[in-house]
Amino acid sequence: MGTGQEETRDEDLMAQIAKGDEEAFRQLIERHQDRVYGTVAKMLGGTGPDVEELAQEIFLRVWRAASRYEVKAKFTTWLMTITRNLVFTFFDSAGKKREKLHETLETEEDFMGGQGGSLKRTAADELSGKELAEAVEKACAELPRTQRMVVHLRQYEGMEFEEIAKVMGMSLTAVKALMFRARENLREKLSGYFGASN
Amino acid sequence: MSKERNEQGQEGLGRELEGLLASVPPPKAPAWFAAKTLARLRAEKAEQRGGWLRIPQWKWLAAGLGIALLVFGILRPERSSLKISDAEVYAALNALVQEDEESRWWSGL
Repeated sequence: MGTGQEETRDEDLMAQIAKGDEEAFRQLIERHQDRVYGTVAKMLGGTGPDVEELAQEIFLRVWRAASRYEVKAKFTTWLMTITRNLVFTFFDSAGKKREKLHETLETEEDFMGGQGGSLKRTAADELSGKELAEAVEKACAELPRTQRMVVHLRQYEGMEFEEIAKVMGMSLTAVKALMFRARENLREKLSGYFGASN
Repeated sequence: MSKERNEQGQEGLGRELEGLLASVPPPKAPAWFAAKTLARLRAEKAEQRGGWLRIPQWKWLAAGLGIALLVFGILRPERSSLKISDAEVYAALNALVQEDEESRWWSGL
């Protein structure tokens, strides 16, 4: 992934898509569907019809914008920018309920608060993979959306900070500051689990 | 200090957190995802292609035009029937006067 050869192919596919080639579009979807679907799922905090619909909408935007597509950056950077725009728009409209739910969860005391010691003691030896996964998912879901997006792009998409800055429409410094705050938040929430993933 | 700064600024999350997050990879798209997206695209295209007569704006325009023609058609004959000749006016006034005289006679006035 991310080789120069693949980018050329992405660009070629985009040129074909701009002419209305559905087969090229299918190839592009199959190549990037996990990336887009995974990002949407991580941002929305799970899978479901919302995730699928939003991920489809992202690809439909790609189709509609194909004729205006210009090679200014990596194709994946452009794709992730569309993804970020649509996910944040989703949060601004229908997703407000979800964010409220996350705020509520933040105030709940049953999530690690005040019991770090006991978790530390049990985490490495007794926590099942499922419990650990749930705790990590929960901690990520509770991050503010910009922090969550930056963490996802860095951790799962392996993007450079410069690319992330383009996707987020922010300066490099702002992105690094977001990453720093995300790291502090996650460390605070997951400190009891360090060592459990090994 | 430099290690800490390096971890914060350059390395991002740090090894421990990266290890934890790596244990929860993002889900993969369902197998039918591409097919469903293409189906949605085709449905959209079909709607755009065959739907120009069915678009709501067109319906509203057609309905507005119909109503305008109807109103014009109704008002036109009424306006022409308002043209009454002087003779007709006098005849109507005479009838009123006669009627009045008759009613006065019957009243014994």
